Amino acid sequence: MRIVVAVKQVAALDEEFELLVDGRSVDPDYLEWDLNEWDTFSLEAALQLRDALDGDGHEVVAVTIGEEEAQEGLLACLAKGADRAVRVWDESLRDSDVLAVARVLAAVIERESPDLVLCGVQSSDAVNGATGVALSGFLGLAHVAVVKHIELDGTTVTVQRELEGGLVEILTLPLPALLTIQTGINEPRYATLRAIKQAREKPLESLSLGELGLDHGAVAAAAGSRVVSIAHPERGEGAQMLEGAPAEVAARIVEIVRDRMTG
Amino acid sequence: MSGVVVVAESRRGELREVSLELISAASAVAQEMGEPLSVAVIGSDCAKFSGALAADGVSEVLTVQAPGDGFEADLWAAAVEGLIDAESPSLVMLGHTIDSMGFAPAVAARRGLGFASDVVAVGWSDGLRVRRGAYGDKLIAELEFPGKTCSIVTVRPGIFPPATAGAGSAQARSVQVPMEGVARTAHVSYEEAASGGVDITKAEFLLSIGRGIEDKDNVPRFEELAAKLGATLSSSRPLVDAGWMPSARQVGQSGKTVKPRVYLALGISGAVQHLAGMRNADTIIAVNRDPEAPIFNVAHYGAVADLFEIADELDAFA
Amino acid sequence: MARDPKYDILFEPIQIGPKTLKNRFYQVPHCIGAGSEKPGMQAYHRGMKAEGGWGACCTEYCSIHPESDDTSRVSARIWDDGDVQNLAAMCDRLHEFGALAGIELWYGGPHAPCMESRATPRGPSQIASDFELNIFPRNMDQDDIDTVQQMYVDAAIRAREAGFDIVYVYGAHAYMPFQFLSPFYNRRSDKYGGSFENRARFWRESLIKVREAVGDDCAIASRFAVDHLLGPISIQVGEDGKRFVEHCDDVVDLWDFTVGDIAEWGQNAGPSRFFEENHEKPYTGQIKAGNHTNKPVVGVGRITNPDTMVAIIRSGQFDIIGAARPSISDPFLPQKIEEGRLDDIRECIGCNQCISRWEIGGPPMVCTQNATAGEEYRRGWHPEKFHPAANSEKSVLVIGAGPAGMECAMILGKREMSAVHLVEAHKQIGGCVNWISQLGHSDGKENIFRGTARGLGEWSRIVNYRQIQLDKLRNVEVHTNSRLSAEDVLGYGAEIVIVATGCHYATDGMNAATHAPIPGADTSLDWQLTPDEVVSGAKQIGKRVLVLENEAYFMGVSVAQKLAGEGHDVTLVTQAGDIAGYMHYTLEAPMLHRDLERLGVHIHTYTMLDSIEPGVCHAYDVWNPAETHDFEVDTVVLCTARISDDELYRELKADKERLASEGIEGLYIIGDASAPRMIVDSVFDGHRLAREIDSPTPEMPLPFIRERRLWGDSSNATYLGQLSSTADISLV
Repeated sequence: MRIVVAVKQVAALDEEFELLVDGRSVDPDYLEWDLNEWDTFSLEAALQLRDALDGDGHEVVAVTIGEEEAQEGLLACLAKGADRAVRVWDESLRDSDVLAVARVLAAVIERESPDLVLCGVQSSDAVNGATGVALSGFLGLAHVAVVKHIELDGTTVTVQRELEGGLVEILTLPLPALLTIQTGINEPRYATLRAIKQAREKPLESLSLGELGLDHGAVAAAAGSRVVSIAHPERGEGAQMLEGAPAEVAARIVEIVRDRMTG
Repeated sequence: MSGVVVVAESRRGELREVSLELISAASAVAQEMGEPLSVAVIGSDCAKFSGALAADGVSEVLTVQAPGDGFEADLWAAAVEGLIDAESPSLVMLGHTIDSMGFAPAVAARRGLGFASDVVAVGWSDGLRVRRGAYGDKLIAELEFPGKTCSIVTVRPGIFPPATAGAGSAQARSVQVPMEGVARTAHVSYEEAASGGVDITKAEFLLSIGRGIEDKDNVPRFEELAAKLGATLSSSRPLVDAGWMPSARQVGQSGKTVKPRVYLALGISGAVQHLAGMRNADTIIAVNRDPEAPIFNVAHYGAVADLFEIADELDAFA
Repeated sequence: MARDPKYDILFEPIQIGPKTLKNRFYQVPHCIGAGSEKPGMQAYHRGMKAEGGWGACCTEYCSIHPESDDTSRVSARIWDDGDVQNLAAMCDRLHEFGALAGIELWYGGPHAPCMESRATPRGPSQIASDFELNIFPRNMDQDDIDTVQQMYVDAAIRAREAGFDIVYVYGAHAYMPFQFLSPFYNRRSDKYGGSFENRARFWRESLIKVREAVGDDCAIASRFAVDHLLGPISIQVGEDGKRFVEHCDDVVDLWDFTVGDIAEWGQNAGPSRFFEENHEKPYTGQIKAGNHTNKPVVGVGRITNPDTMVAIIRSGQFDIIGAARPSISDPFLPQKIEEGRLDDIRECIGCNQCISRWEIGGPPMVCTQNATAGEEYRRGWHPEKFHPAANSEKSVLVIGAGPAGMECAMILGKREMSAVHLVEAHKQIGGCVNWISQLGHSDGKENIFRGTARGLGEWSRIVNYRQIQLDKLRNVEVHTNSRLSAEDVLGYGAEIVIVATGCHYATDGMNAATHAPIPGADTSLDWQLTPDEVVSGAKQIGKRVLVLENEAYFMGVSVAQKLAGEGHDVTLVTQAGDIAGYMHYTLEAPMLHRDLERLGVHIHTYTMLDSIEPGVCHAYDVWNPAETHDFEVDTVVLCTARISDDELYRELKADKERLASEGIEGLYIIGDASAPRMIVDSVFDGHRLAREIDSPTPEMPLPFIRERRLWGDSSNATYLGQLSSTADISLV
């Protein structure tokens, strides 16, 4: 069985940051990169499913769209136990929206002919919450989003889908399928130093768009939107900030609470 | 392509509030575009919602029959694609909800449509323009949809005021969409969340803790503080994921939506899913060491401070 | 990163006499164990704070004459030119960084036993000191008064020569000038006794004389305990306290306010266990609030929070933020505020370990939060600078994230080891601090003479700080909820393995007094507990509890406090002459005793347990074992020996071939796992190993400089030792 996990190296903003001159993105000097939190859970889910299977030849493949920083994320996946990794990058992908990314991911994943594709529900930086389901659209896969439990029985998957208000829906679907995974589904393992070192010996492919049979035009056509500008949110009235030593702040809080709770 | 189509949502026989919010958002855009607004509703029971969905500004209610008892991603995708074929809208609006996001991106991908999710503003000026958060709501991005004759947009719940149900006079019209053999997933059952004896939606004063409390062993201290202050203790998702708090006390999209008189948040950064659960509280007070924490965007009062020191001082008052 | 404008006020300069203080961060006089006879330690410890941005740093109390000799406690001295030369090193170093140097001229009177000089101290009235050894002073007549005042003047002149900018006439902590002012000490009937003006005369005259001698060049400061806390029999802030400030305001350039005396100076250097931040405000805050002074005021109160500092100045409580312990814990606190790096501030936890070493008399200072305190010169350690390890390509596995493990992993991370994995068996890091910080409460009520047991919560800053730093280090990974076996460690892939697995309490009453278990002691039974079991609430605790305290520090008494506060009937038994002996050194003892007495805890000293049976503990008098006593109890808490959890280490160490074949080049053990110790020493142990991980034999500490004179060295010059090549400071 082959399980593909689509992962993303996400950016976190430094406390102080600046925008680029064109006003469309943050200056990369102020970004800190890490594997998307949701992806640690989807990777762990894939590893657990693989480890539970009888026999040999099952593999977990981590794939990502990203430049240099993304290499770290893939190595982390390999260190935790993924068997192979694939990275795709082209400069034209820098400002890609969620559909363009999903289009390229679909091309990578198609090559792998996976039985199961796992994605995180969302990434912590873009928070589109759409990549996985868009990917299922390009791949033509049966899919369920926001999964908090998986049981695999042969070629049938039973999942728990997490709905608003804590309601859960239980449903089944056949392989091949795509699932987007929610946090808290499992306890992600960590990699020992040995595993981290040995990760560098595992296969990690870097592909260009051309090697995927895609050109800039195809990707551009797939794109669903374009960023015009980014800016700081208008605070509006915003929060009235309470200043002073902790004792003073606490006193103010108590005052506000008392005022709101009486009458 | 012309016209705006809103896709309403229901669950287990009840119309969901986001449907009415979408109508008010959509009718404003439809006016800017000078085009009609229709509201679509999908399901085996869709007809019963047509009255409510005939709100002000709605020209027509479109009903799409689907087999089965409830939402299924492929059926809903087929329904929306069928609507797009039949009505040729410029803009399709859905709620940014678990059901809608479970299929809408796939439709946009397959059909090469414009797409943006979790938008907080929609407008039309020389084309469709939307605004959504970036870097977890620390920034706001403005998006356009060059070259797209039809775009799908999902709208963040709780942002737009709900339109008044049934205040208009739109008639219902059925749209036929073939759905045989389309569904690939099979519903087994629903399970309610465990209630654990406490109903935080009934509390008037919530003391809510987040990742900032750092340690499971700190929870009792905040339990005590809540008791002393006369508040009910609640939390954000990460504490429930980690097993530090029961899910019955979770505030957020996948937890409970609360509307207390006072919501005092300690160490909660304000992820969108959390805000979805509490942003309509009467008075929100947030304490967080990060001055950029998104929760300050919705809080009425904020303090950039060490929550333990504030907790210690609050303790002295109680 | 930039300074948040709300802290701008802390960086505004202020004039004190002829000097300009560049900001509001002021290190008030405090002891470090250096004095004038360890000039390297003195200069480099104070200098580190100046480097970190403190606007002024002071010596500890500085004796003006051999008659003021506190041996074995270490004071500074300015008796002769040699002292001038030695203290000049401190002044030079401070000036390099733009800080002012302050000297606290001190004459102790009967509080200073003169054990080294063998001189006779003088005093206003011949009343034996209420501090420890009940030394008697000689009655001072006018000649004596003139002589002592001349000592201040001569000392001030030497101080100016050494380069000091601020010269104190020190009367807080009930030293000489205060002894004249306070009727508690002063029973004179001449012009130096009786009325307020008479009692204030000695102090005022001394200030005037010192001012005349050096006041054009130096700022004249006075440290004054505005309230002695003894009520009407001594100085009270609302009476003579404020009056004295008004009376001497014209001859002082800077006021430095405290409360209390030396006999119970824990009221001033308040441990966090009993005192909150800014705890002196009710007293010292009254002076400016009542407009009793026109001069700048500096005050203390274990102030660690930048927002509190701003509030103190804005509200007019003080003009200048005074700190001793917060500056020890983080010499770079001002710079971190300046740079907007509040997260990096290492906050004082108020454990008073620093003070304890001075109280013991002799040892150099230490600090739980800052392992480099006292080591700046003798080991060349800088709290913020870490040169990369020579073997930084190696990867490290640290097992156990308690104080030693966290500190070691953090420093190894800062020394740029290629990869450091800190693996902890429990769900959270912090080790013993996690449960210890829950102790220290009793029933929440206030005791006489101030001081409510408020708990050891601030000790969790040990974990908070390291958690933040570890998160920031890209080369350090922390993994919790993961218990490693020897096999796991061998296969982990680290070249260096450091075991920091802590210790546990003896379950059989094994103790340091008898070197044997206690018959009948068995904490596997549900009515016998170790201290951690009391905190975890794992077992039911009966009404009558006996706590056996054989440890001499806080554990046994803290358990007693907690249980008594919760309503149990507690008996506290120790074989020593006093409970929690070490807490005298941390200044926690007086308040602790008041709390326990108020709670009705039955204390039995010089008592040891012979055996334990269900319902009864058989005890005997240590001096007369035939004298026995039975305690009827429901629950027994055994706070006796601690035992290292070193099985993993022993197992790994035993198979040298396997270690080699797995590529493990170094195996070390630190902290309680090596030998149970105080938290401050565990942090140090972890720190030291990390600093010396690239030395030829890391398990053996490198030699440190001992400031001593070598026999036969005819030059009589100060011996400058060889600093190891691992030093992070450069010695001038």
